[in-house]
Amino acid sequence: MRKSILLARSNLRRAKGQAAAIAVLIFLAAFMLNLWLMLSIDYKQNFERCHDRLHAEHVTFAADQDSGDMHDFLTETFEEDKRTKESFMDSCMHMVSIFDYNGGEINSEFVFLEKEAALSRPIGRAEIVEEGNYTSGIYMPVLYKSDEIEIGNTIDISIGGGRVSYTVCGFFNSAMAGSHNCSMCELILTEDKYKELMDLGYAPQAVLCSVRLKDKAESEDYEAMLKNAVSLRYPDVRTVSNSYALVSVSRYVSQTICSGVVSAMAFFILLIALVVIASNIINYIQENMKDLGALKAVGYTGHQLMSSLVFQFLGLSLIFCTAGALASYILFPALNAMMVAQTGIPYRIRFLPIPFALTLAILDGAVFLTVWLSSRRIKRIEPIIALRQGLKTHNFKRNHVPLERTRMPLHFALALKTTLSGIKNNVIVCITMLVLSLVVVFSGLMLENMIADMAPFIHLIVGETADSCVNVRVEEEEDFLKKMEEDARVEKIYLYNSVEVRHVGGIGLMAAVCDDFSKVNNQDGVIDGRFPRYDNEIAVAAKYAGERNLEIGDEIRITADGKEAAYIISGFTQTTNNLGKDCLLTREGYERLGSFANVSYYMNLSEETDIEEFHSEIKESFKNAVNAVINIDEVITGASSVYVSLMKMIVAAVLILSVVIIAFVLYLLVRTTLNNKKKDYGILKALGFTTGQLVLQTALSFMPAVIFSAAVGMTICSFIINPLTAVFLRNMGIVKCTFTVPVLFNILAGAGLVLAAFLIACLLSVKIRRITPKELVAGE
Amino acid sequence: MRKTLLKTDNLSKSFSSGGTLQHVLKNIDLELYEGDFTVIMGASGAGKSTLLYALSGMDTPSLGTITFGDQVISDMSQDELAVFRRRHCGFVFQQIYLMDGMSVMDNVLAAGLLVNKDKSGLLSRAKELFAMVDISEETQRKFPAQVSGGEAQRAGIVRALINRPELLFADEPTGALNSKTGLNVLDTLTAFHAQGQSVVMVTHDMRSARRGNRILYLKDGVILGECDLGKYVHGDSKRHDRLASFLAEMGW
Amino acid sequence: MKGRTFLTGILCILVVEIAAFILFSIGDMESTQDAVLVNEALKSVEADWNTIEEHEDRTGLDYTVLDMDGTVLYKTRASLSESINKAVIHRDTILDIQVDDFIVGKMIIYNGSEQIFRAWRGKMTVILVSGVLLQGVVCAIYLIYLNRVVIKPFQKLKGFAERIAGGNLDIPLEMDRQNLFGVFTESFDLMRSELKKARRAEAEANESKKELVAKLSHDIKTPVASIKAASEVGMALTDNERLRDNYAQIIRKADQINTLISNLFTATLEELRQLSVITEDMESREIRRMLENADYLRRAVLPDVPECILSADRLRLQQVFDNIFANAYKYAGTDVNAAVYREGGRLAVSIEDHGGGISAEELPLIKEKFRRGSNAKNIEGAGLGLYISDYFMKEMHGELAIENGTDGLKVTVVIPLSGHGGK
Repeated sequence: MRKSILLARSNLRRAKGQAAAIAVLIFLAAFMLNLWLMLSIDYKQNFERCHDRLHAEHVTFAADQDSGDMHDFLTETFEEDKRTKESFMDSCMHMVSIFDYNGGEINSEFVFLEKEAALSRPIGRAEIVEEGNYTSGIYMPVLYKSDEIEIGNTIDISIGGGRVSYTVCGFFNSAMAGSHNCSMCELILTEDKYKELMDLGYAPQAVLCSVRLKDKAESEDYEAMLKNAVSLRYPDVRTVSNSYALVSVSRYVSQTICSGVVSAMAFFILLIALVVIASNIINYIQENMKDLGALKAVGYTGHQLMSSLVFQFLGLSLIFCTAGALASYILFPALNAMMVAQTGIPYRIRFLPIPFALTLAILDGAVFLTVWLSSRRIKRIEPIIALRQGLKTHNFKRNHVPLERTRMPLHFALALKTTLSGIKNNVIVCITMLVLSLVVVFSGLMLENMIADMAPFIHLIVGETADSCVNVRVEEEEDFLKKMEEDARVEKIYLYNSVEVRHVGGIGLMAAVCDDFSKVNNQDGVIDGRFPRYDNEIAVAAKYAGERNLEIGDEIRITADGKEAAYIISGFTQTTNNLGKDCLLTREGYERLGSFANVSYYMNLSEETDIEEFHSEIKESFKNAVNAVINIDEVITGASSVYVSLMKMIVAAVLILSVVIIAFVLYLLVRTTLNNKKKDYGILKALGFTTGQLVLQTALSFMPAVIFSAAVGMTICSFIINPLTAVFLRNMGIVKCTFTVPVLFNILAGAGLVLAAFLIACLLSVKIRRITPKELVAGE
Repeated sequence: MRKTLLKTDNLSKSFSSGGTLQHVLKNIDLELYEGDFTVIMGASGAGKSTLLYALSGMDTPSLGTITFGDQVISDMSQDELAVFRRRHCGFVFQQIYLMDGMSVMDNVLAAGLLVNKDKSGLLSRAKELFAMVDISEETQRKFPAQVSGGEAQRAGIVRALINRPELLFADEPTGALNSKTGLNVLDTLTAFHAQGQSVVMVTHDMRSARRGNRILYLKDGVILGECDLGKYVHGDSKRHDRLASFLAEMGW
Repeated sequence: MKGRTFLTGILCILVVEIAAFILFSIGDMESTQDAVLVNEALKSVEADWNTIEEHEDRTGLDYTVLDMDGTVLYKTRASLSESINKAVIHRDTILDIQVDDFIVGKMIIYNGSEQIFRAWRGKMTVILVSGVLLQGVVCAIYLIYLNRVVIKPFQKLKGFAERIAGGNLDIPLEMDRQNLFGVFTESFDLMRSELKKARRAEAEANESKKELVAKLSHDIKTPVASIKAASEVGMALTDNERLRDNYAQIIRKADQINTLISNLFTATLEELRQLSVITEDMESREIRRMLENADYLRRAVLPDVPECILSADRLRLQQVFDNIFANAYKYAGTDVNAAVYREGGRLAVSIEDHGGGISAEELPLIKEKFRRGSNAKNIEGAGLGLYISDYFMKEMHGELAIENGTDGLKVTVVIPLSGHGGK
């Protein structure tokens, strides 16, 4: 044991650079791994904790009728259902509202609560996170805290048809209704403002129920049951609801993406670290064959020699694992700030022992295994043979690139000889470059589709987009259409309305109804099969179909407004708006079930049209017919800015990391090459090769593998990046990605990688300067 | 008056080992002449190899100057020295030092292509040299580890001569060979010398030293004496006797 | 190694083949109807019902449209089932055509599964055959490889063994490390070379034995010769036979021993001195530091020192410089000029004060023991400094020269360069 430690120390001292490089790789891997584990294990738990703390409900339901009759009916329904554990009901106001946020606008269903009532609800209460000295105004969800929305500022909210201004008094947190991603969102008003709003009558009175269930897994079914029961009894009452299942996923979308990326990086780095360790050990054995033989001859057992290596690397990895894991706490606050902007649930950073222990266990376990496996050949060394001849490292299978015949310039030819004689190095280079090209292609994809041009990303996340959306009453529909078709500014107009329907035997689905799906802007919306074309066809979300084992051609029964009808599944769709609980229906198809009171029309407007102006014109000419106009662009910008900033950070991190990794791997490889070829370099120098020429040769010798793997990696990754991204985004209901792959960027990035690798290799091999021909004779 | 090829002035070389300076070469003033087969003899540790490597620009002296033709090589940078070596010097090493990863032919061409861009001319030069040292085409294609020591050393000589160097440096060229193959290598060197090639050889073996026409005896970093064997023909026993008496005088 | 990769390759191909076969045997042929396509066909027929003559198929399906009486209104091609009965026999799909909630006719979708099955079978056959062919080719390649790697080397070994048996040890066995028996053949060749080495070692041992015998006999011959000569002289001088014999023998032996001893002890022990001077190599740049040390008043202008390697005793040299500087400051009391220059195989360090020097008569004597200059009367001193310095320099094979310079006394210390022995 002691002897092994002694050996380990001397080994480490001899290869400081290698040890440093491995240490850095392990540090990075631990950093990433711990971050990922914290994100995936604890961050998500945060919602549960918040949910428990606020004693929050599993199903929230609001109906626009605050009557005794409704109360009784709901109470009865809750009591009848055995799954109910406890429930609570109080009054509120409910309406679609719009306000500006992050340079765009938020357009969602909001329920308005009175402050005291909201804070004292026995089930699903809100908690004030931050508060000023203002006594009259509005409390906003923490999610919306931004530069404009800050305590003391005034916020303008369009509620239904009216417009009101409030002073922001503070921010609150609510587990189930704290984000527009939850289908409904709470806004809390002080008592006077609540009364004022009630008097204004912009928002109808409603009843807000919160139900806790015995088993929270039933939340979606329970929600569907409730909606169905209410819509059967009160067909005209507008309702809004959400469930634990939906909210718990939707509030952690960006956390999921981020932890996915981080985990991928963590494992890539770990893989590279392991490959490097393995090659390091194999090289070590080769270089020190004689020493090892001598130690064996003196009486060390193979086991002792192996454990010295294990000690060496395990000690190293333990130290740097700990350091890396601890360092991840430094980055965590920044990440947390970004996450809170998306989740809206405050998170307190503290030391997490489980991710820490797991990080140590995973990394050290992997390092141990790698070292043990790659050092097994020490056992096979026979002292006499090792002492006598060392290890035969060169093979004379074939004379690669005979100088006699090749037309290549001398240095290329010599470099190629080196390349072909070190296959192991090439494999490491290839693995690294493949991983890196994946990373780079991913960055390119994100740059192209999120930062340069958001449309593909919007289509993926939001689904359908257009310039303008106008909601009109059905009675005025024909007039409106006629007018719009005459209007030169309108390039395209189609009905696109969301209604809620229910899959019989399944859950509630959000149906997007369109009069003609060939008109919609996002023609990629259906990823398999085709859009519904006839009144008995439906396209359902791919994720939902996968869960329910539905296939194209199957017939499912859909119910709404008390009617039920059968539809053939014509295709699968994916949008993340409702986290994979969507379906598409034609207008005729929906009208087999119910009819619209209001319809939304989406319009593409010509380039030069001022959307705001157009909207006010429409409002003028259809005063009573138009319920709402929405500037879709602005809504989207508001909602997606969080994603964009998150992605920017990820892309930057990923690019920096990849350069660092290239540098490290090349450092190790160059070192190995220089060690192995020290004698050759000495001879070449004696023959009159200058340092510059040898540096060039060394750098060039890596190029075939680098260029090959960069080209292959870039090509393959360009093809697999879409499916791969879909895997990451699976939680959001995305099954297939159709991002445009930026070919030019990829080519440039590939060339950049190759160039960077070349420059780094040159820089690293400048060490050749220190090799002098006289070292050839120094040994005598 | 013979033409001076290389001249040293006050050449000294010191190494520091364990804190103390060790002076391996001390104030050496030496001239080497064109067409000579100069042999540097001395006991091991006398600084023979150090002298050779300093003379050939593989190593820079601590003090003093070395002038090769009209170039002062002791002031050159490592890269300038490399360029100087490839054009003007050829090397034959005791350990032969062919590059293991390359065939015999490639070893020669790697050196040749550095100077000579005319490949066909270079190839014919290589073939000619190979023929002179009696290395078959088959052997040329083999790897160093596959050929015998003598063949490898003769290939080493070919490599050293491929660029028509003005001076050929040989460091104990027979040191790693058995006596018969060593003799063969010496014959090769003698033959090239006969064709006008200037040679400087370090050896501590009398049989090898006999091949030179000018013998320098080095002791403790100082040239103790020199002896001219040029007036005796090869094979003459007087040549041997003269050398033996010279060495005896030097305390060999 | 190469063999192993090859085998792995073969194994991989096999695994892929098996996987392909399993996939094809499990994956049932696609015989289900495309419900969406059928729906589309049905809907298009329903839409076109009133103008069914102008109806055109857009789905690529084969179907027949009948009215309630069984008359064929439309068919996509000939030889399809044209009645409900035929359709039932052929397992076709029969659908109701509904217009305004009334069933107005029937639609028969042709069952094309037979064709699909045939196509599938054809595909399977091609895959099977190509799989078997691939396997065959791989096996053939492997056989050729085995022949090259195993059988050929063995044939070669046979010839080799015969040669060794015949005593021919010069022809090496061609080594080919990559083949399976690389190590095996290598050890065979090792055996050959070891045999050869053993044979040569035997010959060499014989040779050196002969040499030793020759040399010893020469050494023994000499004393024997002298014994013989002396005994001859003794024989001539003495009459007494016995005395003559013994006397001669004693002298002979004494001479012999004398010779041997004189050969052994040629060197004489050197006289031990108290002030030992041990020279060693030092770099000339150290001289400057020594001068700086000696110049305790910092009044000297110190020169650059040409670089070379000197042979000197550092300690003694420093003492010499100390003495010279002390003299200059003591007796002359002026600034001091120093100059260092190379003089052939020696390095000269000259130190000159501005004190006007000493008289010419005193010059030659100044280095003697207990001798002090005429200007030293009032100054303490023993008169030993220059004497000892001179002695030190001589011991270093150097020299201490004293002369009158232009301004004052000029002392020149001449140190030999290493390797030049003071010449």
